[in-house]
Amino acid sequence: MKNKIIILGGGQAGIYAAREIRQNDPKSNIKILGEENLLPYERPPLSKDFLLDKKKAEDLYFHSSDVLKNENIEFENISINKVDFENKKLFAKNDNVYSYDSLLISTGSENKKLTLDNNLKNDIYYLRNLEEAKKIKEIVSSKNKITIIGGGFIGLEIASSLSQLQKKVTVIEIGNQLMGRIIPKQIADLVQNTHIEHGNEIILNKQIEKITKKNDDYEILLNDNSFIETDFIIAGIGSTPTVKLFENTNLKLDNGIVTNEFCETSIKDVYAAGDVSNFYHPFYERNMRLESYQHAQNHGICAGKNIAGVKTEYTSIPWMWSDQFNLNLQLTGICDEYDEIIERGNDINNGVIYFFLKNNKIRGACGVGIIGKVGRDIRITSKLTEKDTIVDKQILSDQNLKLNKLIQK
Amino acid sequence: MSEENWIEVGSTDSIEEEDLIRFDHQDKTFCVYKLTDGFYATDGICTHEAVHLEDGLVMDDEIECPMHQGIFNIKSGEALSPPACEDLKTYPVKVDNDKIFIKID
Repeated sequence: MKNKIIILGGGQAGIYAAREIRQNDPKSNIKILGEENLLPYERPPLSKDFLLDKKKAEDLYFHSSDVLKNENIEFENISINKVDFENKKLFAKNDNVYSYDSLLISTGSENKKLTLDNNLKNDIYYLRNLEEAKKIKEIVSSKNKITIIGGGFIGLEIASSLSQLQKKVTVIEIGNQLMGRIIPKQIADLVQNTHIEHGNEIILNKQIEKITKKNDDYEILLNDNSFIETDFIIAGIGSTPTVKLFENTNLKLDNGIVTNEFCETSIKDVYAAGDVSNFYHPFYERNMRLESYQHAQNHGICAGKNIAGVKTEYTSIPWMWSDQFNLNLQLTGICDEYDEIIERGNDINNGVIYFFLKNNKIRGACGVGIIGKVGRDIRITSKLTEKDTIVDKQILSDQNLKLNKLIQK
Repeated sequence: MSEENWIEVGSTDSIEEEDLIRFDHQDKTFCVYKLTDGFYATDGICTHEAVHLEDGLVMDDEIECPMHQGIFNIKSGEALSPPACEDLKTYPVKVDNDKIFIKID
């Protein structure tokens, strides 16, 4: 009997898992159930090249329908509203029932929403999927003064794109720095300077008290009693794992679906990968939940291997990027566990990197520079981290010395 | 094969082993690599987003884009890792009297 494998969630982790399963297992039935009526597509360009019209929707798909057909991977656009783990069944809103032998949950994450006392729910825009990006792109074309609530990656990338479309952009951030959840302040400040140089207004340490609609415009009251007048509001205030479907089941949840290093959940034959998974990372010896392109891809692949019976530990060193104006920011590893910080470079034109070390080994690094200037060093850093190399700090701190000398072959 | 298509890039000692140099010719950019078994050449711009590969990392036979870590095989140009999915064009290389030449079509 052939194995039935269902992948719940049609994003990047899901498609990479599906293809990896097929590589290792030519026979099983593989079906992806996606909530969006679109084949899996790349999300990073939505806030950048898509808004700037440098990429069209059709440029974003990971694979064409032909690739899925050739690999005998089914994709169905359906919304599931109940899971019965005991009997291995999923129930759709339209009464369809899907039974599985193995299930991968790759439902991703969803935007946190602002809580506003007046009824402005439909007036605040968020950006996660293609439909939302299309809407924002269409509406901003007739707007001028844009306010972005939240100074994280998504908000700042949108701020960069809209500035390039000649919009007057204001970013309001509750914290005392931009991208404060994971980016060191030194790097965030360099990015902030670039936004300001391009005319964006950055407001830190302020909270929204109230938003009032005035005709077609809005008045935003901040907690210092100042007002911002704006004609379009976009919020990017973080995300939460998409787990509502599992809340009343015995699947173990804690900031996402808890998984071990093999993408296995607390329930046999149920796996989770990507944004939705709070996974155990054996290198860092702790659980973490990541929302990034590289993680969605690699974690999906790892889950695919394990589902296909090729037992594989997930050891990928985290890596992510953000592009804003002519800057490329990159982060590798984790930057919150360290006993020493080493700086490499001090000019954004040549790239600036901060290394976070513990016991003379790199745990993570974060860098920013004009596009192309930090990528190579960050990549080498990932390799040094992965190999747990004791590093020569002189080489790390001197931009004239090449980092690849530190890699032991 | 006409001789005119072979363009001189520079001397063989202008590239360290497992490294590359950027070479601009007319309005095009190329990357010329020195690997353990010889010299190779590809287009100089990543097929994913227009970024110069000269700042990328050369490891074994692969070049990795510095912007989004798309990986290409230097010898075949094959795109090995997303976000790159379109192959990189490669060019023939020859060495004559310690000088590197690439053949541009």
